[in-house]
Amino acid sequence: MVDWDGRGLPPAAAERMARFHRHPVATSLLEVPDAVALASVGLTPVGEVMGCIVQHMGWQGYGGCGWYGGGLGGGFGRRPGFGGPLGGLGGLVGPGVGPGFGTGGVSGYGYQGAGTVTSGRGGFAGYAPYVDALYRGFGTALSRMGAEAQAMAADGVVGVKIIETSMGEGNREFMAMGTAVRAASQTRPARMFVTDASGPDVAKLMLAGWVPVNIAIGISVAIRHDDYTTQLQARSWSSSNVEVSGYTELVQHVRADARQRFDAAARADSADAATVSGMTLSIWEIEPGEGHIDHAAECRVVGNSVARFHRGEQAISSTLTVLPLRGA
Amino acid sequence: MTVNDQVGVPEDAMRRLAEMRPGQATSLFTSDLSVNEFLLVREAGFRPLGLVLGSSIYHVGLQMGRWSKNQELGTLSQAMYHARELAMSRMEAEADQLGADGIVGVRLDIEFKEFGNDLAEFIAVGTAVKADEDHPVTPDGYSWHNNRGKPFTSDLSGQDFWTLLQAGYAPLDMVMGSCVYHIAHQRFTQTLGNVGQNVEIPQYTEALYDARELAMSRMQAEAEALEAEGIVGVQLLGLAHRWGGHTTEFFAIGTAVRPLRPDHVIAAPQLVLPLTD
Repeated sequence: MVDWDGRGLPPAAAERMARFHRHPVATSLLEVPDAVALASVGLTPVGEVMGCIVQHMGWQGYGGCGWYGGGLGGGFGRRPGFGGPLGGLGGLVGPGVGPGFGTGGVSGYGYQGAGTVTSGRGGFAGYAPYVDALYRGFGTALSRMGAEAQAMAADGVVGVKIIETSMGEGNREFMAMGTAVRAASQTRPARMFVTDASGPDVAKLMLAGWVPVNIAIGISVAIRHDDYTTQLQARSWSSSNVEVSGYTELVQHVRADARQRFDAAARADSADAATVSGMTLSIWEIEPGEGHIDHAAECRVVGNSVARFHRGEQAISSTLTVLPLRGA
Repeated sequence: MTVNDQVGVPEDAMRRLAEMRPGQATSLFTSDLSVNEFLLVREAGFRPLGLVLGSSIYHVGLQMGRWSKNQELGTLSQAMYHARELAMSRMEAEADQLGADGIVGVRLDIEFKEFGNDLAEFIAVGTAVKADEDHPVTPDGYSWHNNRGKPFTSDLSGQDFWTLLQAGYAPLDMVMGSCVYHIAHQRFTQTLGNVGQNVEIPQYTEALYDARELAMSRMQAEAEALEAEGIVGVQLLGLAHRWGGHTTEFFAIGTAVRPLRPDHVIAAPQLVLPLTD
């Protein structure tokens, strides 16, 4: 095996591309309906493409809530209002949930609650280095996949699957795979389109006057100090049925931040619309100080940005109602 | 659509991609719709405005039922209802801010969290939409808002939503009813009496009837308050959550609708034989 410096394509992939140029055999990950649907909008598969990266994810960043680790945050984060006195105050003030809280997601989009620290603040706040590493993982896998498609002179990649596998000891593999396609057109796109939509979905979009642009990803991690009210509302031996406003605030903010980053990703592609194909959320406990438990949450939003190419005011309509002759 | 019409499709699409400059400002919207839903909602005469979402993390404590008694656990019923209502109303507030006429494709989920006992997240996600001007299926001056002055909500799929409008109905709001019920344990003597026999246990039958009827009638009461003609896409669920075998939530949910015109005829669908499974 040749030593590889991490730039461009790994030797094995470069070899496969060279072989493709000698004998262009169109491989694909498509199933029959995908292939037929893509053919109906003038897209021909040119080859299966893949990109991956294994990353060691050692340091996740400062995981304090801005209350217990106040001094530490101030020293590391160099961000006033985060780890310093203001962050501490945030913890003290507690849940900033009042009337009109539910609208915070739209109006304030990146609005930070009194006691919640999201990675969107950058620096070392709220696991930002970990979030950056996730972005680098997904981004590198996608761009290496893109490099293979480029080498095949493709116009786009469809049916992309993104897979994240933990390999233990803090190592993770990020992989993207899909099918490169070429359009039956005179014009070549400025940048290759990439989508996780299946063949039939791509065909439906294009027949309705929309073309996929890129995969958009929004990831955020947030941490919130468990103040006294939160502890009181959440304690398990209590039989009271109440909203735990602090946790609601935590998930609301982490989602708002992830959605905002998703939105920003689609905007950066100058797309006209974005559809969400998956949104996940997880919450876990952290112990930033002796005997004190806080909660952190991670949200991921993945989807497709799409651009409109039909010029009419009204949507292109071609729906024919059918009743399939088979059991439901 | 004929084959000829489609020849221009890849050309036009690639031309659009060729024109794109990263960073160019656009009026972007996001949605939580699948491609099917996205296209059908457009075809039904609505523009997606954006993804909207509301959530509430709720501590659902325990309420003890009498061991040998069939009874509703009223506090729990109320908690389950209140938490959902919080999530829904926060989602509606987001939609209101976007100036929406309605929210389609709503998913209402409960997820019990691993990190704390009795903690559950109630989440409502959907896509806020605005109706096109002069919408073909509605009479002049029609307001899509319901009699609570709120944008309509619907949990119907893209296909169902399209068909509903074609048939001359409009969604009003999602309606729901919840009943958490404790089903009595049998006394030892009762169990003994049934040994080796195949018999109905009227006590259990009655309990299940009771609980389901309560959930359904609460849902119906919501629809009556909205002056709806009917409820479509109703699901009646028995959710055990984490309360053990004898305590179950019965949950009824559906979309209340009102008629837009007197007749409700749609074009007869074409029969097709799919060449795939």
